[in-house]
Amino acid sequence: MYEALAPGKRLRSPSGTVYQVGRFLGAGSQGEVYRVGAGGAEYAVKWYVPGFATPEQRAAIETLVRAGSPSPAFLWPIELVEADGVPGFGYVMPLRDPAVASIVDLMKARVAPTFRSLVTACLELVEAFRRLHAAGLCYKDISFGNVFFDPATGRVEIVDTDNVTVDGATRRVTVNGTPRFMAPEIVRNEAGPSANTDLFSLAVLLFYMLTISHPLEGRLESAIHAFDAPAMRRIYGEAPVFIFDPADASNRPDPAVHANAERYWNLYPPFLRDLFVRSFTVGLRDPRHGRVREGEWRAALLRLRDAIHYCRSCGAENFADARKTCWNCGTDLRLPPRIVFGERSVMLNHDTVLARHHLDGVSWDFDTVVARVARNPADPSRWGLANRTGGAWIAVRPDGTRTAVGPGQTVALAPGLVIDFGVARGEIAV
Amino acid sequence: MITRPGGTLATRPLHFIWICDCSGSMAGEKINQLNFAVKEALPAMRKEADENPNAQVFVRALRFSKGAEWINSDPVPVEQFQWVDLSAGGPTDMGRALSMVADELTIPPMTERALPPVLVLVSDGQPTDDFEKGLARLLEVPWGRKAVRLAIAIGKDADRDVLAKFIGNAEIPPFEANNAEALVRQVRWVSTVVLRAASSPASQPAEEAPASNVPIPEIPVEFVAPSGEDDVW
Repeated sequence: MYEALAPGKRLRSPSGTVYQVGRFLGAGSQGEVYRVGAGGAEYAVKWYVPGFATPEQRAAIETLVRAGSPSPAFLWPIELVEADGVPGFGYVMPLRDPAVASIVDLMKARVAPTFRSLVTACLELVEAFRRLHAAGLCYKDISFGNVFFDPATGRVEIVDTDNVTVDGATRRVTVNGTPRFMAPEIVRNEAGPSANTDLFSLAVLLFYMLTISHPLEGRLESAIHAFDAPAMRRIYGEAPVFIFDPADASNRPDPAVHANAERYWNLYPPFLRDLFVRSFTVGLRDPRHGRVREGEWRAALLRLRDAIHYCRSCGAENFADARKTCWNCGTDLRLPPRIVFGERSVMLNHDTVLARHHLDGVSWDFDTVVARVARNPADPSRWGLANRTGGAWIAVRPDGTRTAVGPGQTVALAPGLVIDFGVARGEIAV
Repeated sequence: MITRPGGTLATRPLHFIWICDCSGSMAGEKINQLNFAVKEALPAMRKEADENPNAQVFVRALRFSKGAEWINSDPVPVEQFQWVDLSAGGPTDMGRALSMVADELTIPPMTERALPPVLVLVSDGQPTDDFEKGLARLLEVPWGRKAVRLAIAIGKDADRDVLAKFIGNAEIPPFEANNAEALVRQVRWVSTVVLRAASSPASQPAEEAPASNVPIPEIPVEFVAPSGEDDVW
């Protein structure tokens, strides 16, 4: 509306870097975003509208710049900038990757990620927030417009990081966000934003991403004619009821309006659904102890991703140990073999890749490939696991015989086969 | 390739209605400025609607001078809405206009389930018919009561009392559009900021009693500050 910065305007910074203003990218309620260039590289600058360019905001940005980004997923303030002749200030941040889509795109079905990409996006989101909270900070304003993801890979980018503050520092305020993501105690104005309220918003976001519906919008919501602020206060704050609350059926999805909830809920294994039940029953009422923590989400989402397998008939992704028939074609699901490491198991599909984390369970290293599922070139009906490491495995058959599987070699998969990878032992189960 | 069951987020309709004074005094520059302002704001309105997965925005326009008439017979999705330039001439039958809006806000044609409608009344003069009756009719209708009602006063002859009554909220005065630029900014603000507020109202501090069912974000000071020759008396 104002376009305070003209193209070509030079912005000064504490580091001495001079940023030159390029294209106006867009405006939000707090400021305008421009593309800028410096030293051959391109960045974004958010320039605050006059009402928001306060000393408090400046100090807040300085704190964030000093703290540094807790995770590469955040588009974090790099440094403050000022302009000669233009009052106020802004900050420099990385540019958003043009290939990423927003959660709005997901809600409007403008992108069609696979379950694998989507669950990866959920995992990365959870990990980003885990690191943010571990650093003693809180985000405060999760919503559709500030989370982006690459539909092909699941990589995420989180924007509007200038709202991040130290956890517990903000008291009750008027929050200019949608109540749909807000913890009930904030909607009721009984508490300010904190890491605990972030956990609630995170649960809502995960529910939206995995079911394209809201956890508190069922028959009670569709019965309301005018969905205005008082109505929203009731649904999201004063009388919230989970649409799949095992003890309270009053807010079940209305089939005429909330078809997505039914469509998706039963696809997922119980271990994931249980976390949503907890988030929106106990989690509604107990901000301090009732909400699912990031570590729990992370373990469950990884387990969910490793449970993906393909329908033999139509190829659609399904989840093991959930439905008995394919959600897409209705055919009975026949599970492929899986490899079991103690409590963890990974479905062995034609394209399965085992990474270091699958073996050690602690490193969260998914980049280092350890093994791949492969077909026997002489007999394509026989499947095996190919050794992609530099060392040898020991394969132990049910009859006790042991064979070495050297680098590059493949061992045939058979029920009961145990593979000793060195750092862990996995058993093939069917 | 089908990757997931699909489906889009459930939406509610959000009806946005322009109620435009096309009386004789609007003829010439003023009606041109209004036409310009609305057309200028349309891309931003579409973008705002596009970024909102909870609302399906519909736009309509009603003109009034001698009597009143709908420019669009049915609500048009904002993606397809095109502004037909209005022309001006005749009296100012604002009461009739409000009465016709009331008719369209009854169920049917309104649905049972929607977001609060947004009604924007733009006027430069005084009603020449029974305004009170029209307003009463509008407020009798539940969707009329639940609507966000805003008004833009064009020029110094606009009847601000009447516009304030239409708005019905002491905290929201009529906007002062004393020049073309101000009109452009105000039209754009209602097309974007108010649109967003109607589908995602901000939460309110507990200490304040809610003044309206759709909290409007802080109105830019320049929209309601008096300016021009009226400042000096």
